Amino acid sequence: MLEIKCPYCGRRSQNEFSYGGDATVKRPKLNKDISDGEWDEFIYYRKNPRGIHLELWHHTSGCRQWFKVKRDTSTHEIVKTFMIEEESQ
Amino acid sequence: MTKLTSQMSIGIKVFNGNYFNKSESSLLKIREISDIKIFQITQYKNSKLDISLIKIDNQILSKMSGCVSANFNTRILWSGPKTWIVISKNKNIIDDINKNCSANNFAITDLSHSRMTIQIEGKNAFDVIKKGCPLNLNNFKTNMCANTVFNGITITIDLLDQDKNIFNIMSHRSFADSFYHAITDASLEYGYKIE
Repeated sequence: MLEIKCPYCGRRSQNEFSYGGDATVKRPKLNKDISDGEWDEFIYYRKNPRGIHLELWHHTSGCRQWFKVKRDTSTHEIVKTFMIEEESQ
Repeated sequence: MTKLTSQMSIGIKVFNGNYFNKSESSLLKIREISDIKIFQITQYKNSKLDISLIKIDNQILSKMSGCVSANFNTRILWSGPKTWIVISKNKNIIDDINKNCSANNFAITDLSHSRMTIQIEGKNAFDVIKKGCPLNLNNFKTNMCANTVFNGITITIDLLDQDKNIFNIMSHRSFADSFYHAITDASLEYGYKIE
């Protein structure tokens, strides 16, 4: 069981959260001509790295806010959590 | 708001709890808090209004996570950033909310009929909650609240009195039967009375 530090509520059990996917994926800009390949890249392809990964999580049973989590996918260590508007580097 | 559900009504009228061979002093008291108004107040993301200027029933909207501002009639729970839950015995609390929270800055939602509140009182109240809830209650003090889960059911815990161990726990009304059952089941070890 992970313990995740919500930037708003503090340390809480993983039971209260929902995983929201890769936080580095950027939606193609509006009104820009993009190829099918670029849409494929945005919708279907993910990196699935071993090591540090930036993820989106939702505090579903808490403050209901989205935030970013920097997590090591091999050890499950959570390095840091960020508010959604915060710079995560 | 009327009494909860058929199951709870049966629990109140017929069984009246489960406390055979238990010491009266250690019994948990479980009651439904009805006839209250519940409103959610959300400040819009683009609103620049300073909320420290706003008071509802003379209570501030706390900026601190997990804090409750309370008087005898009204409790205002921090529910998330720029989001509060107002719980009041005052039937006309909406007038006060509308007067202080303008529609340009706030969204106000009446949750009175979509939530149900159970109050647990007794020296083992903390233990009952710990049985189904992953929240660390060691530093939980009077007038603190938290949104969390109990046996997978999303709930809001509000500690009214740390010394007397009185909690208000609010869940969605659609989960009320399951939640009530989960709470009474967790209370069996200590014995409980429905009031």
